[in-house]
Amino acid sequence: MELVRMEKVSKVYPGTVALDNVDFVLNEKEIVSLLGENGAGKSTLMKILYGMTSPDKGTIYYKGEKIEFKKPMDAIDKGICMVHQHFMLVPAFTVTENIIAGSEPCVKGFVNMSKARAEVKSLIDRFRFNINPDIKVENLSVGEQQRVEILKVLYRKADIIILDEPTAVLTPQEVNDLFMILQQLREDGKSIIIITHKLKETKALADRVVILRDGKLIKDDIDPDNVTTKQLSEMMVGREVNLNTRRPSTSIGDVSLKLEKLNVVVDGVPKVRNVSFEVHEGEILGIAGVEGNGQSQLIEALTGLCNPLTMNMKVNDIQIQGSSEKFLKAGIAHIPEDRLSMGLVKEMSIMDNIILGYHREEEFCSKSGLLKRKWIRSYSSEIKDTFGIKAPNVDTSAGSLSGGNQQKIIIARAFSRNPKAIIIAHPTRGVDVGAMEYIHKKLIELRDQGAAVLLISADLDEVRTLSDRLLVMFEGEIVSESMPGELNEIEMGLLMTGGHTMVESEVKS
Amino acid sequence: MKTPKIKLPSIRSRNSLVTSFLALIFSLLLGMVVILISGYSPIESYKAIFGFSLSTVKGFALSLSQATPLMFTGIAFALAYRVRLINTGAEGQLFIGAMAAALVGVYVHNLPGLAHVSLALLAAFVSGGIVAGLVAIARVYTGSNEIILTLMLNQIIIFFTSYLANGPLKPPSSGVGQTERILESAQLPRLIPQTQLTSALFLVIAVAIIIQFILDKTVFGYEIKVTGQNLRAAQVAGINTSRVSIITFSLSGAVAGLGGAAMVLGVNYRFVEGFSPGYGFAGISIAALAAYSPLGVIPSALLIGILRAGTITLSRTTSIPVELVDLIQVLVIIFVAAPKLTQSVVKIFNSLTHKFLKNAEPVGGENS
Amino acid sequence: MTITLELILSILASTLRRSVPLLLASMGGCFSMRSGVVDLGLEGMMLSGAFFAVLGSHVSGNVWVGLLTGVIFGMIFALLHAVLHVNYKVNGSISGMVINLMAAALTPLLLNEVFGMSGKSSTVSNFNTPNIEWLKGVPFIGPILGGQNILFYISIALVIISWIFLYRSKFGLRLRMVGENPEAASAVGLNVKAYKYFGVLVSGAYAGLGGVYLSLGQMNLFVENMTAGRGYIAVVINAFGRYNPAGSLIGSIFFGFFDSLQTIFQSYFPSQLVMMTPYIVTVLIILFGLKGGRSPAGTGKHVES
Repeated sequence: MELVRMEKVSKVYPGTVALDNVDFVLNEKEIVSLLGENGAGKSTLMKILYGMTSPDKGTIYYKGEKIEFKKPMDAIDKGICMVHQHFMLVPAFTVTENIIAGSEPCVKGFVNMSKARAEVKSLIDRFRFNINPDIKVENLSVGEQQRVEILKVLYRKADIIILDEPTAVLTPQEVNDLFMILQQLREDGKSIIIITHKLKETKALADRVVILRDGKLIKDDIDPDNVTTKQLSEMMVGREVNLNTRRPSTSIGDVSLKLEKLNVVVDGVPKVRNVSFEVHEGEILGIAGVEGNGQSQLIEALTGLCNPLTMNMKVNDIQIQGSSEKFLKAGIAHIPEDRLSMGLVKEMSIMDNIILGYHREEEFCSKSGLLKRKWIRSYSSEIKDTFGIKAPNVDTSAGSLSGGNQQKIIIARAFSRNPKAIIIAHPTRGVDVGAMEYIHKKLIELRDQGAAVLLISADLDEVRTLSDRLLVMFEGEIVSESMPGELNEIEMGLLMTGGHTMVESEVKS
Repeated sequence: MKTPKIKLPSIRSRNSLVTSFLALIFSLLLGMVVILISGYSPIESYKAIFGFSLSTVKGFALSLSQATPLMFTGIAFALAYRVRLINTGAEGQLFIGAMAAALVGVYVHNLPGLAHVSLALLAAFVSGGIVAGLVAIARVYTGSNEIILTLMLNQIIIFFTSYLANGPLKPPSSGVGQTERILESAQLPRLIPQTQLTSALFLVIAVAIIIQFILDKTVFGYEIKVTGQNLRAAQVAGINTSRVSIITFSLSGAVAGLGGAAMVLGVNYRFVEGFSPGYGFAGISIAALAAYSPLGVIPSALLIGILRAGTITLSRTTSIPVELVDLIQVLVIIFVAAPKLTQSVVKIFNSLTHKFLKNAEPVGGENS
Repeated sequence: MTITLELILSILASTLRRSVPLLLASMGGCFSMRSGVVDLGLEGMMLSGAFFAVLGSHVSGNVWVGLLTGVIFGMIFALLHAVLHVNYKVNGSISGMVINLMAAALTPLLLNEVFGMSGKSSTVSNFNTPNIEWLKGVPFIGPILGGQNILFYISIALVIISWIFLYRSKFGLRLRMVGENPEAASAVGLNVKAYKYFGVLVSGAYAGLGGVYLSLGQMNLFVENMTAGRGYIAVVINAFGRYNPAGSLIGSIFFGFFDSLQTIFQSYFPSQLVMMTPYIVTVLIILFGLKGGRSPAGTGKHVES
């Protein structure tokens, strides 16, 4: 039975066509996966459905009736609710407060807390969510926080639930839990739309798959059981995609980066425990792990951005410690996980951004402290051309470039300094398939030129495809070392969440 | 070695130049409203203001001498703002610099003129720098709000120097709070006799050029700009942002201190209680108007100096108080800080003129 | 100087008197901060409240009209802060400072215009200390409370009302949500801008009332710059009071105490040094005091509209 019908929906933003004549249908009791690259239009389509924005053209029907949402509250009133990718929670409030805020049960203006708590508790019990309603949200795990978000939606009696990239931050186990919950909700009569670009999960969970590309509907009746992930990604991108072919290194050299006994403690809590490993020239060492298990602190230690308790780090047998400046000078390039906020200065020109981090080197700065402007200009022009950064000239401000081009600046900057070691974190988080290909290609190129690459990622596929050797990090420790392919996904998932299967004794000591 | 070419004020985009100009215009217009309310003609008043300042030598000298302390405090605020720190302590730094210069000027004997002046200036520079430096250290290492700290310090310094000027340092026959007169060797020469215009003007212009040069051409200036525009990226890039912030903020205080010294060594020849009618805070408007460019502060301060000089004259003949300029200064900050507001006003203005012009189309016009 | 019971009681009475304006201003700051807007403009709102209260009392001859005028103009200045920050996205600290500078520029201007003198206004009708017979006789409490005027009692009532509003009412919960995470609040359908306006306007009303206390409660005229930095001290009180009315109460009594010591010491030390003390205390507290409470997580954040 048809629940929602969106007909010929179009939406134009200045400079881009977000949606072009898109039709979308949602039936009762079904889970639909909405696939597409960044910018394909899936977020925009859902924003229209849940009332955040309105279409330029097209009509929306709900249960056969034509409707027009002016604001999210209108959609919520009709039972259409959204669970956002970035949680809309107040860490300082309790679970109950978070759930009821905005729709509180009250008596003459005063909140009836006991009634609220009872209602929330009954929802928790009914769906077996297993959360304490009185706990502050800041003390919950990511998976638990997501469940609070879902509870918010259920509290408001949603019939249609839209989830935006729900599994981006979950461990494999939590993903399974989520799937069970969603299936249960479907049995309960709800309809669910999942916006995602995770192909495997789509196949596992969805009843039907819809693909958007460049604002247009490509296909909307795909049966996930009858299609391969390769076919799905090709429909998403519009051409052949070779994402998961391995290209192992052909010449692994000596040890370039050697780390021994790294311990990082933050506010009295040990975040990295006794981690040691080596990365060789011409090798990509991958560290897989769910975010929040010490990776950020590991990266900070390796780039001089924090004060580890103990650390013995050598690059080409020279000991390194101290400020981030020293690490950069020693030839360690860092591609940060939050590239835009940590890697670029939007207000500055491309030229100024390209020398960022290396601005004190003799090449760019004279002994007296004057910048060698002429040389900097020609250097950055060359890089701009080599890496294909699309902009009128190097004086253009970095903020005016597209996201992909901004990423290119950061990668180009690091790769052009012939670094001895590269530390790259979550390289393709939030990046679409096309850009993913580019970044992977560049990484392999660099490795083949002899650099030692440390790749830290929560994306299992990425880490297994690119690495020559694979470590798993859990709760600050390295819990396994293996060659890619030795362990299957389930085993890796277990290791990432604490269930040990094999542990290399050399690594742990 | 080639001498570095001096560029025009490095205003980051043409937009900010336009915004500053419009901000000034709108503020002047609103100032007119105040004059109107007081029962005077705005046109006559502004004619008097600008007429005096621009047409007579004395008037122009007064404008420049009013502008000089504003240049110091304007540069100070602009510099601190480059690392996104707000130096609301220029007033206090002004006072402590003034007192330091006065102490050197009065109590250090037997020094030739140039050395004496230089020592006094140095004392002011260092004392302003230390006061600001301490605040910067507190801000960087404890996260304390530098706005509140500097505001509190302003009061502390002003009271303390006032205590000194009314107590231990007060000349026996004096009726007001002040120090003894400084020795002749410490005095700054007047550029035009019978005016308050001193060689401090050359000093402050030199300071502006130097600081602008540092910002544009040196690696330290680069680090200042990155720190101010994206702190985290600066840290990741190996910049010691603590050091950069502290040095820059200290330099800001030091420049403000020099401003105080300029008043003591050139205008009053002694430290006088309450010698500053809010020069420190006026610096905020100056800096905003100049789009936080040190070299841009010079013309910006001159504009306000002209306004101040004219208004002082005006307040002698009318009951329009000098505080009118303070109001205009605040309005400038508002319009510069809220560029969208300025744009909205422009839009309203445009639509009004558009309507007006439409209705005023002559009969038998072009396309009838 | 001998420490007698009389002296102690008079210090306590003076403490309460001195803490009222700080209490009112910092409670106002609570509302502002809880809605996610920085409360740096309290000084200007207070100063304008003080001036316009005198103006209102002068024009009407009635002290209650003066009170109303003071509160309203405190809110008008707060409105400017709100418009600049919420609508035009100006940094909250800067728009707050603008309010302070604006009040500092406007009040002398208007003082001149209206009263013809500079420095201070003529005297107006004010709040007298009520002559409560039975209270005078009560030991301890009598001398302490007997000298307080009605605004003191209003302030205490406001502490209770404010606390209940913020932590027990529906709007209080929503206001706090806006301050903690405006995007989340917007997602559940709250009008973030409206709540921020509310927080700022209420802070203007409270701070304005604090100013009224200064000019019409403690004195009967307006003196240029009579707030003397109390608004900034209120900001500090808030930071350490964890942005709630109970903390404001404790903090303002603490500062009120130091303030009242000042008048005692005036006869023994040079006046300027004595006047320095509250500022020195503030600086010391900022530098060495307990780490200030965490401000609402969404302070200064806006929602794309």
